[in-house]
Amino acid sequence: MQSSFIDKFLSNEPGSASRNFLLSALWWSLWAMGAGLIAGIEFSAPDLIHNIPQLSMPHLRMWHVNGVAIGWLSMAYVGSIYYMVPSLCKNKLWSERLGNFTMWAWNIVMIGAFANLLNGNTEGREYAELPALLDYMVVVALITIAINVYGTVATRNVKKLYVSLWYFLGSMFWFPLVYIIGQRTFVALPGLNDGIVGWFYGHNILGMWFTTMGVGMMYYLLPRLTKAPLYSHGLSMLGFWGIALFYAPTGTHHITQSPVPEWLKAIAIISSVFLFVPVITVLTNFFMTMKGKWGLVASDMTLRFAITSAGFYLITCMQGPFQATRWVNWYLHFSQWVVGHAHLALLGTFSFISTSAFYYVMPRLTGRDWYSMGLIRQHYWLKFLGFLLMMISLTIAGLIQAAGWAFGMPVDQWSLQIRPYWFLRAISGVMIVLGQFIFAYNVYKTLYGKQVETKKSASMEAIKA
Amino acid sequence: MNSNPYRIGSFAVFTTFIIIIFSTVLMPMVLFQPKPTDTRNNYNLESSAGDALRGRQIYVREGCFYCHSQFTRLQDRGYGPLVKAGDFVYEAPHVLGTARTGPDLTNEGGRFPSQWQKAHLIEPRSVKPGSIMPSFSYLNDRDMNDLVCYIQTLGNGRTVSAYVEAPDEYMPVTPSGQALLARRHVDTNSDAASNAGRGIFTQNCAACHGLEGWGNGPNSITLEKKPANFSRPFYKQYSDQMWFYRISEGVPGTRMPRFGETLTEEQRWYLVAYLKSLPQDKEVTINSLAQLNKLTPTKLPVLTKQEWEPHSGGH
Ligand code: HEC
Ligand code: HEC
Repeated sequence: MQSSFIDKFLSNEPGSASRNFLLSALWWSLWAMGAGLIAGIEFSAPDLIHNIPQLSMPHLRMWHVNGVAIGWLSMAYVGSIYYMVPSLCKNKLWSERLGNFTMWAWNIVMIGAFANLLNGNTEGREYAELPALLDYMVVVALITIAINVYGTVATRNVKKLYVSLWYFLGSMFWFPLVYIIGQRTFVALPGLNDGIVGWFYGHNILGMWFTTMGVGMMYYLLPRLTKAPLYSHGLSMLGFWGIALFYAPTGTHHITQSPVPEWLKAIAIISSVFLFVPVITVLTNFFMTMKGKWGLVASDMTLRFAITSAGFYLITCMQGPFQATRWVNWYLHFSQWVVGHAHLALLGTFSFISTSAFYYVMPRLTGRDWYSMGLIRQHYWLKFLGFLLMMISLTIAGLIQAAGWAFGMPVDQWSLQIRPYWFLRAISGVMIVLGQFIFAYNVYKTLYGKQVETKKSASMEAIKA
Repeated sequence: MNSNPYRIGSFAVFTTFIIIIFSTVLMPMVLFQPKPTDTRNNYNLESSAGDALRGRQIYVREGCFYCHSQFTRLQDRGYGPLVKAGDFVYEAPHVLGTARTGPDLTNEGGRFPSQWQKAHLIEPRSVKPGSIMPSFSYLNDRDMNDLVCYIQTLGNGRTVSAYVEAPDEYMPVTPSGQALLARRHVDTNSDAASNAGRGIFTQNCAACHGLEGWGNGPNSITLEKKPANFSRPFYKQYSDQMWFYRISEGVPGTRMPRFGETLTEEQRWYLVAYLKSLPQDKEVTINSLAQLNKLTPTKLPVLTKQEWEPHSGGH
């Protein structure tokens, strides 16, 4: 009795932690993206929802950001590496039970986040809104993941570490530290220092977690999906060290016009521009690996998600250093352009790569084929076109706002002029969320619908063996 | 190849990371410790209306900082005095903000009566048609009063006697400002200096600011942001340094050039002397195109208002 209870909740079945993580990620993505959609609609119809504090725009926004970042993306990442790391090390996950334990802990964090943030129980720092207790739990979860991943790599059956593992191991080392520093739970800092550390964290949750993990996943997926060897191992190492070196100090570029020390701004801006180097090497590597294989994008949806992600990554990383420079920042800062950029990174790049990993990993974990290819296509197009619409409308809105500030136009005037773009943004939200629901439906049908168990994939057998 | 490259690798990752944390997190904490200034927000005012500090918590709880920033920049015209690093010492958690979907609130205190603020928070569109600010009607009375009290304290430390002043780098309170003063040998109160300035003004400025400095030079026709009209009594409070600063660095967001790059310091001080000597008791307003200085003979066509102000949208 006792053991069956444990088996049920802390299953030891190979691949179960990965699958549970991915499914939880999908579950939270629906809630978090849905919240983003409602918040987006409220920009066009501010009186649509009245007198419900939980559904007021700022509360929805807190939950939306934490829900997609810590719920959807992070959980999808962990789920993916729980599959990818063992498959690269040719062994099993170090402890499947520990993996499932983390999964529960993380889900409890998300329930707490949902309940707290929608009620405005926040620490009031962008990206670090979670209340202290939940912060501790996230740290525990991150440490258990790190133990699991390092344990798997330590007991590996191959000699050489593939570059993806470098990225995963690096991220699992520095992200818990960045998280602890970023929460500032133990210290109360004076205002501007609080801002500096806040943006150190705010940017590094992207730079030292979403980027390094996401790029590691791209390195894993592309050669496998195209069945072509990675173009250059040397380049991939250059990219890795470049990111490790230049990403961490860039945070202050979020507050270049506030009265923080000039030398810190200079460090941030210079490293931001230097980020071109790792980005170009990483992308050269990807696109050269694709050489002669581009045709596959037409038929292989998983690959198409991954390549779209790489493409958006290119655009994100061209925008980033451009915006960080003083003279562009002078003009564009504070506008919706930046919101567009944030979605380009998290939705365009990292959400697409997570989705690609999801589509790749799930059949291999469960041995079930996707219920419907048509639904995957619909998901792709809704998400892709929806995202383009969002990006374009936010960018135009941002340019109007920026012009408004630069020419000293009153807010009341330009805020009327960007109303059409708020509206388009709401429509784009409908498309993206609809795509995500189609995705969820497809997953549901695949896993729980009637289907004959087809071939378990070769790599899955390898895990079991 | 080394027998264990991963040991070196992990050591390198570790050191890199520690260096970065040191330089961007620990070093700023040690090196950057601004002293609290008098211009910071003063939350300790005795007030029967509400508790401003608690109002600040409500501000954070309701997430106002997602749409409103709280620091003024050089180019933000009409948002009051600039902030200094020391203004933020007691502002934790910081509410600097990163997006301005709404206006900057650094100096919001006193801009509107409390009743207006309250009405605006409860039903923004009743006082600002077309606003997209969310309604916060669900706040209870205590929260609402404290929040309004907080809004009204914003910038209360920054109400200075002279409304605008040059940055410290120009004022004799910093080494650079003192050096500037020491280099100056133009007596800005003398007629001779003012006469010298007139010539420079006619050559460089009159095309925009007009011969009398009324902001009505022929170039002003094409400018969206009209050149300053120096006859306004407002300019009586300008210090020499303020004039000098404006001439040297221009006005961000307008076509006012940065003359620090083309005129010598001496020439700029002559200009200060001239601008100070302009009559500033009676404001001269320019209402029609006919009143513009036309440097004769001018070939410019006579334009309708729609034509010379195409952005006014025709109303
Ligand atoms: C969705 C973004 C948004 C949020 C959240 C928001 N505001 Fe606003 N706010 C605006 C916009 C847009 C305006 C300009 C139009 C207007 O005056 O209503 C504005 C205007 C204001 C003004 C008038 C400023 C002026 O000088 O004209 C004040 C004061 C204000 N907001 C306070 C708050 C407070 C307090 C909160 C939190 C309870 C808050 N706002 C939350 C968008 C927002
Ligand atoms: C290209 C047109 C142009 C020229 C040439 C020009 N100005 Fe200006 N000036 C402007 C505009 C536009 C403004 C901004 C008015 C405003 O603040 O709204 C301005 C503002 C100023 C101000 C600031 C007023 C304030 O409110 O602080 C000063 C001082 C000034 N000009 C002096 C000069 C002097 C002296 C010269 C010649 C050396 C000169 N300007 C030449 C267009 C011009």
